[in-house]
Amino acid sequence: MKYRFIVDPVLCTGCRTCELACAFSHARNLKQGRSRIYPLTHEKDKYVPVVCLQCDDAACVKSCMFDALRRNEETGAIDLDVARCVKCMACIAACPFGCALVDEVHNEIVKCDLCKGDPACAHFCPSKALRYTKIAVR
Amino acid sequence: MRITSAEHLTQLQKEYQKEAAKFPRKILVCLGPGCLAAGSDRIYDAFLNHIAQRNIKGITVEAVKKTGCHGLCTQGPLVTIEPDGLFYTRIQAKGVPEIIEKTLEKNEVITKLLYSTPGKSQKIEKWADIPFYSHQMRIGLRNVGQIDPENIKDYVAVGGYQALAKALTMTPEQVISEVKTSGLRGRGGAGFPTGKKWETCRKVDSDIRYVICNGDEGDPGAFMDRCIMEGDPHSVLEGMIICAHAVGSISGYIYVREEYPLAILNLQKAIEAAREFGLLGKNILGSGLNFDIKISRGGGAFVCGESSALMRSVAGEVGEPRAKYIRSVIKGLHDKPTVLNNVESFATVPVIINEGGKKFASIGTPRSTGTKAFSLAGKINNTGLIEVPMGISLREIIFDIGGGIPDGRKFKAVQTGGPSGGCLPESKLDLPVDFDSLTEAGSMMGSGGMIIMDDRTCMVDVAKYFLGFLVEESCGKCVPCREGLYQLHALCVRITEGKGEPGDLELMEKLSKYIQLGSLCGLGQSGPNPFMSTLEHFREEYEAHINHKKCPAGVCRALIKYEIIDACTGCLACIPVCPVGAITGEKKKKHFINQAICDQCGSCYAVCQFDAIEVK
Amino acid sequence: MVTITINGKAVQANEGEMLLAAIRRQGIDTPALCHHDAIEPCGSCRLCMVEITKKEWEGWTRSVTSCLYPVEPGLIVSTHTPQLLELRKTILELYLARSSQSEVIQKMAEDYGITHSSFPVIPDGDDCIMCYACTRICEELGCFAISAVDRGHDKKVSGPLRQPPPDCIGCLSCAHICPTGFIKWQDLDSTRTIWERQFELLSCRTCGKRTITRDFAEYLMKKRNLPAAYFELCDDCKRTETAKTMGKIVVAAQEVLK
Repeated sequence: MKYRFIVDPVLCTGCRTCELACAFSHARNLKQGRSRIYPLTHEKDKYVPVVCLQCDDAACVKSCMFDALRRNEETGAIDLDVARCVKCMACIAACPFGCALVDEVHNEIVKCDLCKGDPACAHFCPSKALRYTKIAVR
Repeated sequence: MRITSAEHLTQLQKEYQKEAAKFPRKILVCLGPGCLAAGSDRIYDAFLNHIAQRNIKGITVEAVKKTGCHGLCTQGPLVTIEPDGLFYTRIQAKGVPEIIEKTLEKNEVITKLLYSTPGKSQKIEKWADIPFYSHQMRIGLRNVGQIDPENIKDYVAVGGYQALAKALTMTPEQVISEVKTSGLRGRGGAGFPTGKKWETCRKVDSDIRYVICNGDEGDPGAFMDRCIMEGDPHSVLEGMIICAHAVGSISGYIYVREEYPLAILNLQKAIEAAREFGLLGKNILGSGLNFDIKISRGGGAFVCGESSALMRSVAGEVGEPRAKYIRSVIKGLHDKPTVLNNVESFATVPVIINEGGKKFASIGTPRSTGTKAFSLAGKINNTGLIEVPMGISLREIIFDIGGGIPDGRKFKAVQTGGPSGGCLPESKLDLPVDFDSLTEAGSMMGSGGMIIMDDRTCMVDVAKYFLGFLVEESCGKCVPCREGLYQLHALCVRITEGKGEPGDLELMEKLSKYIQLGSLCGLGQSGPNPFMSTLEHFREEYEAHINHKKCPAGVCRALIKYEIIDACTGCLACIPVCPVGAITGEKKKKHFINQAICDQCGSCYAVCQFDAIEVK
Repeated sequence: MVTITINGKAVQANEGEMLLAAIRRQGIDTPALCHHDAIEPCGSCRLCMVEITKKEWEGWTRSVTSCLYPVEPGLIVSTHTPQLLELRKTILELYLARSSQSEVIQKMAEDYGITHSSFPVIPDGDDCIMCYACTRICEELGCFAISAVDRGHDKKVSGPLRQPPPDCIGCLSCAHICPTGFIKWQDLDSTRTIWERQFELLSCRTCGKRTITRDFAEYLMKKRNLPAAYFELCDDCKRTETAKTMGKIVVAAQEVLK
């Protein structure tokens, strides 16, 4: 059994609570961080929360020449080891979903880390469009 | 032809000895570095030509042999005539017919070519009677100057490869235990026990082990390894093959600096000959041992004599040291266990196997056994290559063997251990030469270069020279060595320029301490030694430079002036040699140096025959 | 797990890791300029040196670079002995003499109470502290475009034979990893200039935003088998595309379920 992060756009109301939750859960020095999740609208009143899908065969992991992106077997997230990152931007260019991001304030690469096993977005999502649940993984 | 067994080797040895006995009289022409520079190759050719032209009974061209260094380089070119032991010095090519005519045909001795002790008129006929040779004991250099290095038959005839044959009958453990018994310590300078090194290497679990011979002799004024590689390459190969058997290696390298083209050539010829004779390659002497040697040529960087830098260089990387928290004997070349020994160490191994470790251990001192080769350079009468038992005093080396200081000058200091070594003053002359005593005295054994200095040497200048050498040769990887030695050198230059300030010495001492503590490899850790040892023994000289702006030895140009005294005869000799035209004067009248123009080059001082120019 | 003692406190360290990692995990500030997790340690800056000993060493101590020394059971480590502090000060003064203009060095020296170097300032000194971080990251990348050339005090990082490096792909890893910010680069329109070479920057097909250099993208495609299509858009536009695609799928799924 493994945890999986589930995005259900049908339930998304576009309230953007997830964005706030993400920014504050990644706060640094009491200042909000860069949100890793984007509730984007694709049609009027229809929303898709775009967030890292933690792909199995992830392009970001493949593109990182310095092994800074690695799967965290506990949470299932692909974690960025900031100490190994040299900001070459390969992951940002390679991610087909645009979910590896630059935090211009701290001059860092950031990506969703599933809040180390307790995703704040899922925690606060009022409509349960974002869920972090146990599912059977082959 | 392949030698298939130990018996076959002995049979060949007898055959070659018989062959050699056909020419009872041998003419050994020294083709060592010193004599070669003085034109001994032309002398060799002259002997060949003239002997071929004449028909002398019992002397044919085969009797003329080119050999490695005879040792007494300052008297070169040298020729020894065996078995008489006749020793001719300073020979010129045009003098060769005379030697053939008189000595070879009529058995007459040519007195003018004989050696005489400096300061004495008595001529010495035989080399064995010359103090330079009679005080020596040759183990590593046993064949250098005796055999033709390019001819493997010569080496086999003097018992070469017999030690290998003997070692192959022993188990690797027995070989290692023999080397351990001998107490042989690495001749490269650090003095690590060789047997222990081999044992550690053998015990490491690995599929491949390497044997490397360190022939990257970078110390200024050192040429012992060069002479062994040029003069007796087979002894190095034999030592390496024995080592390969002991540690279980199939692949070896000899790392030689590119500046030694003759050494590379002779080693290459030796390796090819050894392969042809089945002494290298598969199934050596029918014992099942497989081992081959490649030559790896270095670019002449001093730091590549350091083990980890050397191994990186052999592997084709940039020759920079790496931190050695895991020793190279466990993780060396290509991260495999590697035995790295000096040329001299390998050349000594066959003797240990042949004669037994106990006999070797009986020579020298208990903690530094055997003999050590040194090269004497600098202000000494008998510049050259020597080998002496450990524990001999510096005084014996310098005065008995080296013949003392030329021109009746006073001994001031001896620099041992190369650039990273130290200078020892007269009070340390009775120090026994062994690894521990020298280290204790603030110098080190090093690879064996000895530079002797007389009272006209400025110790600050010496420190400046060696520091400058180290600044040039530092690989530049770690800060204390790259920046620290640079600053130490800069401060030294400042002192010699008369711009030293009070407090400089304290700053330099502090800096030296942290260079030693903080550097990555041996080069940096021992880098401040030239400064530290000269400061320890000659502090007053530094103080004179800084406080009184004087150079007591009269060397540092910014702190001296040349003056003409009343002894001047007015010979006009000094006027044309002055490059800046500072000297004026008329014939038979005392000349005068214009101090405003003079740039203290010393040309006038060198040319004056009446000691009328004084350094102040 | 291995138990070692750092400054009198027994701590746990992971087997095989270097001392520096264990020390930093304890929140002890050990300075280091040449260390970076992405590259092999090389021990050139000498600032992270610590004093080690063991009970059985009978009082004998040894100073080692903690970035290169693997943890061993029973190791007793001191990170701030008076001697080490003096060593760091001396090294910082040496740095300050060469790179007097570098803010990173100035700041670090200030932390150790040094405002000026006792040594003469080197007139042609620059901010390069020869920490090899750039060359090591380039090796890690697999390009080997730049290396240290020459030796001793004249050593410089450059392409082969002091020429612009032909194998450079303009990824900027070296510039970003440089602790003193000495490696200069410039992005102008669609051209990136670094190591005296010019590279074409890819532009987003939709919005025109510049991403990485074409050489770098091609290198990644080849080395890591990534499709060229991944590199056509910028991250912003890729997110918009993702939203559109996912939205379409959702709509289609809803249609089917109806």
